[in-house]
Amino acid sequence: MMSSVPATDKKSKLLVYTVEECPVCNQKTKRAFAVGDYITKDGSKCTKCGNQTRVSLVYAESTKPSS
Amino acid sequence: MLPIIPLQVAADTSTLLYIVFFMGLFVFQFAFGTRIQVYFALNDIGRGLTKLKVMKEKSRKEAIDYIVNVGKAPNDPSPRVDQFLDYVTIMPVGIDPQGLVNKIDHIVTTNNDRVRAEVTALVAQNNPVTVSISENLLEVATALNMIHKVVRHYYILGKKTNSYFTLIQLQMLMPMIIQESDALLNAVDSFKVGQPVGDGIGPVSVSRLMVGKEKRVIAKDTVMAITEYKGRKLYVVKADGPMAYVGQPGVAIKKVIEEMGVKPSAIIMIDAALKLEGEKTGEIAEGVGAAIGGIGVEKFQIEEVATKNKVPLYAILVKQSILEAITVMRKEIAEASDKVVQTLQRVIEEKTKEGDEVLVAGIGNTLGVAQ
Repeated sequence: MMSSVPATDKKSKLLVYTVEECPVCNQKTKRAFAVGDYITKDGSKCTKCGNQTRVSLVYAESTKPSS
Repeated sequence: MLPIIPLQVAADTSTLLYIVFFMGLFVFQFAFGTRIQVYFALNDIGRGLTKLKVMKEKSRKEAIDYIVNVGKAPNDPSPRVDQFLDYVTIMPVGIDPQGLVNKIDHIVTTNNDRVRAEVTALVAQNNPVTVSISENLLEVATALNMIHKVVRHYYILGKKTNSYFTLIQLQMLMPMIIQESDALLNAVDSFKVGQPVGDGIGPVSVSRLMVGKEKRVIAKDTVMAITEYKGRKLYVVKADGPMAYVGQPGVAIKKVIEEMGVKPSAIIMIDAALKLEGEKTGEIAEGVGAAIGGIGVEKFQIEEVATKNKVPLYAILVKQSILEAITVMRKEIAEASDKVVQTLQRVIEEKTKEGDEVLVAGIGNTLGVAQ
């Protein structure tokens, strides 16, 4: 056969994280993504300096080690 | 007189049988080979078609569920959604290319306005994030519906006409069609919960320059902020987030230059770019030209205004696959945003001088990325 329809890949599970960054001391905190999170949204208080953090990134990481 | 050697006769008989067998095989293959290949091709395409049907139905169901559960639609939206899936956009005639881009722009804008109005009417709320996500979910369902229809058309046509070449071509394309459809279906999961997608790397990068600055709407679904970097005045443009918008960066750039009278020394565009197989996700490439995809209207507008005003166009691209571009942003892409900002700063320093004005545009779907 010249080509074939690929079987569905064994998908590695993607876990989505939200990174909160303190604009003052630049401390970054990573937590699980919660619905309603978006980049630049205000986060929790910084555990280091007590300032208001901001969501700086939302990304997915694969649970399967990359080859 | 010829000698009679029984063994040789036996050998000749078996040789003859061999010849007859292979001749038969040859004739059989000649007569039925194509039909056998058509049979396998039909089976292969049929399996793919079933997958496409499942994907199409799943995306439709997801869109309806979202409109009902999150959009709080007062009535059953199914009939309206089904009509929506078959809605067509008729592109203008191309035999007279004069003014064709403006005509396409007009048709596309009319379609976008219509979609927005219909989705707003479907969902019983004015939350722009919910409306924009519903729009995107319906677009995915429409795309999968169309892919399924076209593949089914050629499948049935090939079967009816027993056309070997139609079926073989379709069979060869099926793996790519399934891959792209799978990517579209995976996008649904990200859209539903408002997670930024890989295509949003442009908006993610420029949003850092806009945080805390005053924003103004510069075009439909598009915002602009003014900031400063090492003595240069930066006009930063992106689609209005965290809605799932792509905005009108072409119109925005045109307005900044022609209506606001800004004379930029450079236009720097940041966008996601499709990587080739073998390239790494999150790799950054630099170049010149308008870094923007789509139907071509925005690209035309940017190129036109840049050429007219002799403004150099620079591009910063972040490599990713089609799947990564429309599904939740991968770590490698998100972390490239730091490098993108560094590259942007270097390009500004190298290509402009203090006191200059620079236009920076983050291109892409800005879902989950505010400013």
